[in-house]
Amino acid sequence: MYKYVLCWRYLRTRYIALASVISVMLGVATMIVVNSVMAGFADKMKERLHGVLADVVVESFTLNGFYDWKEVMARIKKIAGNDVLAMAPTMECPGILHFRVNGEVMTRPVQIIGIIPSERAKTGDFAEFLRDMSGKKIEPSFAVPLAYREKTPAGELLKESHFDSTDPDDVRMKELLQDEMKQQAPDCGTILGYALATYHRKGHDDIYLARQGTKVGLLFPKYGETKSEAGFTTATTVGYFKSGMSEYDSMHVYLPLEELQQRRYLYDYERKVGAVNQIQIKVKPGVDINAMSRRIQDSLDRMRPMFYQVQTWEQKQGALLGAVAVEQSILNILLFFIIAVAGFGILAIFSMIVVEKTRDIGILKALGASTAGIRGIFLGYGLLLGAVGSGVGMVGGLLFVRYINEIEALLSKWTGRKVFDDSIYYFNQIPTIVEPLTVGWIVVGALTIAVLASIWPAERAARLHPVKALRFE
Amino acid sequence: METMEPTGLLSARGVVKSYWKGRNEVPVLRGVDLDLEPGEMLAIMGASGSGKSTLLHILGLLDSPDAGEVVLGGERIDTYRDRRRDELRNRTFGFIFQFYHLLPELTAFENVLVPQWIGCGLWSYLSQRRRLKREAEMLLERVGLSHRMHHLPSELSGGEMQRTAIARALAARPSVLLADEPTGNLDAASGQGVIELLRDLNRERGLTMIVVTHDPQIAQQADRVVRLAEGRVEEWSPALA
Repeated sequence: MYKYVLCWRYLRTRYIALASVISVMLGVATMIVVNSVMAGFADKMKERLHGVLADVVVESFTLNGFYDWKEVMARIKKIAGNDVLAMAPTMECPGILHFRVNGEVMTRPVQIIGIIPSERAKTGDFAEFLRDMSGKKIEPSFAVPLAYREKTPAGELLKESHFDSTDPDDVRMKELLQDEMKQQAPDCGTILGYALATYHRKGHDDIYLARQGTKVGLLFPKYGETKSEAGFTTATTVGYFKSGMSEYDSMHVYLPLEELQQRRYLYDYERKVGAVNQIQIKVKPGVDINAMSRRIQDSLDRMRPMFYQVQTWEQKQGALLGAVAVEQSILNILLFFIIAVAGFGILAIFSMIVVEKTRDIGILKALGASTAGIRGIFLGYGLLLGAVGSGVGMVGGLLFVRYINEIEALLSKWTGRKVFDDSIYYFNQIPTIVEPLTVGWIVVGALTIAVLASIWPAERAARLHPVKALRFE
Repeated sequence: METMEPTGLLSARGVVKSYWKGRNEVPVLRGVDLDLEPGEMLAIMGASGSGKSTLLHILGLLDSPDAGEVVLGGERIDTYRDRRRDELRNRTFGFIFQFYHLLPELTAFENVLVPQWIGCGLWSYLSQRRRLKREAEMLLERVGLSHRMHHLPSELSGGEMQRTAIARALAARPSVLLADEPTGNLDAASGQGVIELLRDLNRERGLTMIVVTHDPQIAQQADRVVRLAEGRVEEWSPALA
């Protein structure tokens, strides 16, 4: 009984102990906030990665791909049955993008992706990420609107001029201008990654370098038996791909599948079929995609050994997801040192309190308190400090997470600069996820450290000789 | 050294105790024999450093003798294990110290309850807390502090603190009260009040007690007085003073 009364009384009367309560509290709150924000970011990132990639992706080892993709898709359908919701054939290859800005040629390394937009939209969030220059969502299509053509120099001249259809020169001129207009705004549309087409300045609106209607040139490897040659095509920018993942937004350029197949010389004009090097598969929610990808891999290996590689979206992004997990663990270890420091604070303060309370310990022993009882007072005191510190820290951390955007707005107002620049991540708000298990581990960890830090002072107190303690000055 | 069979309620037989100052052994008790009869009030006198407090601590199991034995009710107790020693300190002995030694965070009332808190487990205390609290109140009333019950030690005078310490020493209904210079830190009037209180308690309750003092006037009020000199006990009477 006396242990509980004294623990509680010491907590209320020894204000120096509040220092260790505050350090435990800050450590716990920081860990909860950082973990929640990191979990929020990781979840958003996964959501976006998954949005860009389908659940399962079948790829060929060669860039030139395979023509029998319909057969492959039929086989997948046969294996996975109703679990498959949609499949999209895709041709992906590295390339170089260039376009003119104020007379200068901008050149960028890119990943060119040939797709059938309506099919691709069914296998992921592709359609969700498409935007026009005003930021509005657009339909998944490569159709070049007439308005873009009319805005080209040739188009404007064509619009302004009057042609006499009986005059052969006028007819010729009109044809030439129409050809020129097609040169200036090609029939083939392209969707550019948002970061490729814009220039980002911190604190300002993004500037469009390749506006809608801008003609871009694309270089890519053509099919070759023994050597690679560069293929080339031009296209008109019709929209932007803005997923929020800079890896994609600064690399992806979407072209019509057939256009890419033909330009890469991977199109059989007789059979009217081109090669693809990827099939994106969307499966029903709740299906074990790892098991399914293994089944598909086995089946395709029997069809053509060592040619196909089947991966889930997580496997394809394994390195990135792994890096995020490692970052989170390292950060947690570092942050846990904060609580460890608080533990040393408890140790130092407790040692002081034991010295200060030496005579009281002697009195308690004289009155019959056992060694274990004295030890219990200080261990209990440590546990109580840890419980109060981690309890208040947990509530504070959770409240901080709950109102993190309001706090960010307030800090931005006070400091005059944006603390969380939403243009970097394209999030309007700081994403957070509170994982109860993580919060539980943090609190248990803090309590353990508080108790561990009290062991030594408690042991010192417990071993004090009653007579020496009573005579302590 | 020849020792006699213990005869009283509490006895010391050939108790030897030394302290070490660096490499030098300082003998304090050199073979103390002492018997305390039930209901007796014994005063131990002696000069400063003569070993009065050390003897009291050994008798009350706060310390252990280097040699000799301490016997309570015919049973040797100085060899008891820690747990039984703690129980005896809590239930059988009541301590009163020169510097009161109250716990500063607790009120006078709570200080009186401490021995019960120590002796009872949480549930045992909670189940009988009303009775124990009433007893603590009665003890404080008995020592004349009913009006100061809820004051912290820092708000009490020296005499009041010592009265509180006496009430605390009586809380667990001990068989033997061990008072180490209970008036040593008090003015004459307060000291007299405290010693009268102890005398009354001795008479009312038949409480056996040892009072360590160096004041002959206080010692005279005891049933028997012994003197510690040269590390040994010798009988003393006022006439020898």
